[in-house]
Amino acid sequence: MRFFIDQLEVLFPYPRIYPEQYAYMCDLKKTLDSSGHCVLEMPSGTGKTVSLLSLIIAYQQHYPEARKLIYCSRTMSEIEKALAELKALMKYRTEQLGYEEEFRAVGLSSRKNLCLHPSVKREKSGSVVDARCRSLTAGFVKEKKERGEDVDLCIYHENLDLLEPSNLIPTGVWTIDGLLRYGEDKKQCPYFTARRMMQFCNVIIYSYHYLLDPKIAERVSKEFSKDCIVVFDEAHNIDNVCIESLSIDITEDSLRKATRGANNLDRKITEMKSTDAAKLQNEYAKLVEGLRDAGEQRDEGAFMANPALPDDLLKEAVPGNIRRAEHFVSFLKRFIEYLKTRMKVHHVISETPPSFLQHLKELTFIEKKPLRFCAERLTSLVRTLELTNIEDYKPLQEVATFATLVATYDTGFVLILEPYESETAQVPNPILHFTCLDAAIAIKPVFDRFSSVIITSGTISPLEMYPRMLGFTAVVQESYTMTLARKSFLPMIVTRGSDQGTISSGFQIRNDPSVVRNYGNLLTEFCKLTPDGLVVFFPSYLYMESIISMWQGMAILDTVWKHKLILVETPDSQETALALETFRAACSNGRGAVLLCVARGKVSEGIDFDHHYGRTVLCIGVPFQYTESRILKARLQFMRENYNIRESDFLSFDAMRHAAQCLGRVLRGKDDYGIMVLADRRFQKKRAQLPKWINQALPEAETNLSVDQATAVAKRFLRDMSVPFDGRFQEGVSTWSKADLLRHKAKVEEDELRVLRAEREDVDMGGGDGGGDDGFDEVDEDALAEMDL
Amino acid sequence: MSRAVQRPGGAAPKRTEITDDGGEFHSYFDSPELRNVHKTDKTSDICPVCKSSRYLNPQMKFLVNPECYHKMCESCVDRIFSSGPAPCPIAGCRRTLRKAKFRAQTFEDVFVEREVDIRRRVAKVFNRCEEDFETLLDYNDYLNDVEDITYNLINGIDVEASEKKLQGYAEANRQLIDDNENRARKAATTYAARQAQVKEQSRLRREANMREEERERQERLEGQRNIINQLASRDGDAEQIVREGQIGLKRRHKTAIPDRRKPSASATKAEDGKLLYRGLKKKTEVEPERPFSPYAGLRIANEYSVVQDHYDAPWLSFAWQDERYLAGGFKIGDFYSRVFSEAFAGLSVFVDEEVAGRNLTGSFSATEGAVAAADQDVNMSDDIF
Ligand code: SF4
Ligand SMILES: [Zn+2]
Ligand SMILES: [Zn+2]
Repeated sequence: MRFFIDQLEVLFPYPRIYPEQYAYMCDLKKTLDSSGHCVLEMPSGTGKTVSLLSLIIAYQQHYPEARKLIYCSRTMSEIEKALAELKALMKYRTEQLGYEEEFRAVGLSSRKNLCLHPSVKREKSGSVVDARCRSLTAGFVKEKKERGEDVDLCIYHENLDLLEPSNLIPTGVWTIDGLLRYGEDKKQCPYFTARRMMQFCNVIIYSYHYLLDPKIAERVSKEFSKDCIVVFDEAHNIDNVCIESLSIDITEDSLRKATRGANNLDRKITEMKSTDAAKLQNEYAKLVEGLRDAGEQRDEGAFMANPALPDDLLKEAVPGNIRRAEHFVSFLKRFIEYLKTRMKVHHVISETPPSFLQHLKELTFIEKKPLRFCAERLTSLVRTLELTNIEDYKPLQEVATFATLVATYDTGFVLILEPYESETAQVPNPILHFTCLDAAIAIKPVFDRFSSVIITSGTISPLEMYPRMLGFTAVVQESYTMTLARKSFLPMIVTRGSDQGTISSGFQIRNDPSVVRNYGNLLTEFCKLTPDGLVVFFPSYLYMESIISMWQGMAILDTVWKHKLILVETPDSQETALALETFRAACSNGRGAVLLCVARGKVSEGIDFDHHYGRTVLCIGVPFQYTESRILKARLQFMRENYNIRESDFLSFDAMRHAAQCLGRVLRGKDDYGIMVLADRRFQKKRAQLPKWINQALPEAETNLSVDQATAVAKRFLRDMSVPFDGRFQEGVSTWSKADLLRHKAKVEEDELRVLRAEREDVDMGGGDGGGDDGFDEVDEDALAEMDL
Repeated sequence: MSRAVQRPGGAAPKRTEITDDGGEFHSYFDSPELRNVHKTDKTSDICPVCKSSRYLNPQMKFLVNPECYHKMCESCVDRIFSSGPAPCPIAGCRRTLRKAKFRAQTFEDVFVEREVDIRRRVAKVFNRCEEDFETLLDYNDYLNDVEDITYNLINGIDVEASEKKLQGYAEANRQLIDDNENRARKAATTYAARQAQVKEQSRLRREANMREEERERQERLEGQRNIINQLASRDGDAEQIVREGQIGLKRRHKTAIPDRRKPSASATKAEDGKLLYRGLKKKTEVEPERPFSPYAGLRIANEYSVVQDHYDAPWLSFAWQDERYLAGGFKIGDFYSRVFSEAFAGLSVFVDEEVAGRNLTGSFSATEGAVAAADQDVNMSDDIF
């Protein structure tokens, strides 16, 4: 289907379009036109990705600037999906336009997924693959080879140098598989092909971390130009990603390893002094000037900022007392030793970076300034010493990053030392959490650097929370509803058991046998009536375990067992994968199954239960975070003081976004149907925080049901769904053909005209009068509001 | 002040002690013997002297003496050193130790413990800060040198020379060191004060928030009560009343939010203003600023006349009393002085002399210009070929 939005022709690879897709594209275009950021919530299963790609590609090809698209998603499977969609889209464009556009898109993944080296790729752990690859590809290794030394190089990497650097792969869309196949064919490394081609691509698809984790972004993403369009898809958890990327946990073990690393460095320095002192001298001379080459510095806006490496630091020279390699190593050792003494404390400590620095200085004479340079100085040293087994230095690097961050940010971070793993533990196992409290710090460079950042997800309500937490202003904030020809999903809130006792996972009553029994009844009833798959979400593993064991005692599981196979998610990902596989098999062969999982676990985030895999989702209890966590408390307090977000507001927002995420799991398209049950009394008050599209489908009457009422409603719904439904009924309502679209556009235009005309008439009549009533009302309201103040 | 002066002197005997046997001292530190002692200490909590273990006596505390950094338990220290200085009981260590010097060990690694002691000594002497230097590079070079000295002292390289440097600097810059020390102390107190202030502010903010919440809750309750009352007393559409009430509640809620932010914002401003405190203080120590003088100090005073406060000039009398003139900044005094300086402007100017002088310089510059021009010609022809 081809159609126009304003002057922009959009090629959409399907013959029909959903109304919300059209609205979504219009808003996207508005955002791009104004070079601003936006937050968009699009119901799950309404083709968000394809609308996004069609519009942005159309935009890219239409305007001469050809703004690059950086599309970030969360998991590998989502990245693959997006690449497949893009491929289909480009195929369609070629067919329609009659020629192939000059267009390149790559998906970037880790070396683990992209390596071809026969022995390296067989390594199990990603970091080992990285390390081994580095030892085969580093610049100085090559130099050594040229000098005639006997060192191994990766042939796949060497072959790349023979090609023209801007044309390593032909045009087209390169999925991960495609890259691998092409690489195997031409004997060139897919990973480095993708990395090096990023600058020459129209579209790049990769994971969040490549942009948000300062350590990776520094190497991969800093060179993108300012007018890139950045998309964060499935972004409902983006604040947590930001925070995690800047938080560091230090344990006694990691400190021990760091000490070992520092000792190794010491040895290497002595070695190098006797063999190749000039290199060290060289580095020293460079550091006198500053961290970055003078040439690099001149071009200021060239790179994206790095939160772990503030701008002013790049321009400054390294402090004199860590300029020499040996001085720096002894500096690091002292710092590590200090951290070790801190670990000895047997009570919980929570302090701010300034007070930490103060104490540090009193004890060890380490000043703030050299500390800030730590991470960069270490990188420089590692490079100078030509170390290949960088893996061994990872704990040391972590300590150095910690040093830099703690000395750079006075606020937005907190240090929490927890000497014991749990309240009851007797043997100390101290962990020093250096936690970022402010999600805006990690993402700030992205907003500063790129003119259009699009944050989108199926469940990202309430929209205004995100700009507040991430510190940006959005030009467009929209939540779309789902247009449906018939009601194909049934959300409801169950607040009472059949005995009218309230059900809730609140602390006071969560282990109350009557509540547990009511939950059990709910489960059995829905197991009886739901065809095929049923998914149940619990707030936490702990709660799930206790409730399952209680059900076992009440013989509830025996009843469930008659109707469905019972499978449980565990923290172990392999076990869970096995459970999922069995679940799918049982759903497909008609046995039917129920999967018990956790609202913050892997299943709730990345696994779809489309069609018969999930006909009902049961959300047992509100999935609040564990509020006793000190880190969470600190973060809540921070947000309270700095962003004016109330503790309770945030907690409830966070719980509801996870609940919504769980609910969205069962509905993956318009031809899908499912029941969504929220089983907790407290949901009743929180319904406004559900995404608009779910909330709208939830009539007031169904927000306060008892178990038997819910069963009745669900049965009726399933009976409706079982009536064969002709796709033609959807025509013009929930799917538009081109004609429908044109009709809609004409109508919108007419409406606009009418409004304009009405305004004109108002003016002609002398203004004011026509709208007098409204005006009065407003004044009145304002006055009232003021009186209340 | 007197204490500060004493300090460098007080450090002297200790310093000589270390210089005397510096070499031996360090070789001792590198000896495997100490390393072993240190290792076993780490794994077991047993006093190497009396062999009692922390397992049996959880209150046991270990102490070290900065002379040799040998660790022993508190009761051993009491037993051995209470009656005056005595030799270290650890086999192979001949050092004489005093009880007063014993203290708790801060760092697990005795090398770092010792390093920090040395650093403390060095930092007391080399206490310049960045503001003392013209450029950052100078400061960094200074830091580098200091670190060199410290590093040498710690690792036993050229101990004597380094000590000499340290001592030399201390003697040469005694006054400055004291000043810097005072400055650092002051900075520390202001820092502490600021920290307290920040804490206080955040506490206040938290309290205000809490009060706010409480008030909101009260209001909500009251609103609900109002609705119920109205429902009871007023007749009419019940739903209408409820809806009105709810709108009112929401509105109250909305308007309450923005005004909470402001006080905190202004508070941080004030706090920022405080930050400059230190910079200001230092300015007074610099030279007091002289009044601004245009023309690089050239002042043309009226040599030939003394301006009076008032002259009897009837055509002006309206002006110096008329508000319309005065409002614009007119001052009769300025007018008088200008009139006088115009009147006497020509005096003390000797035209002949000046003309003679000008001729001289004029001719000189002319020839120079010609030379330059000729040069340029040459250059140009060069360019062409
Ligand atoms: S260069 Fe490519 S193929 Fe070679 S080891 Fe590294 S990732 Fe593997
Ligand atoms: Zn003892
Ligand atoms: Zn001793």
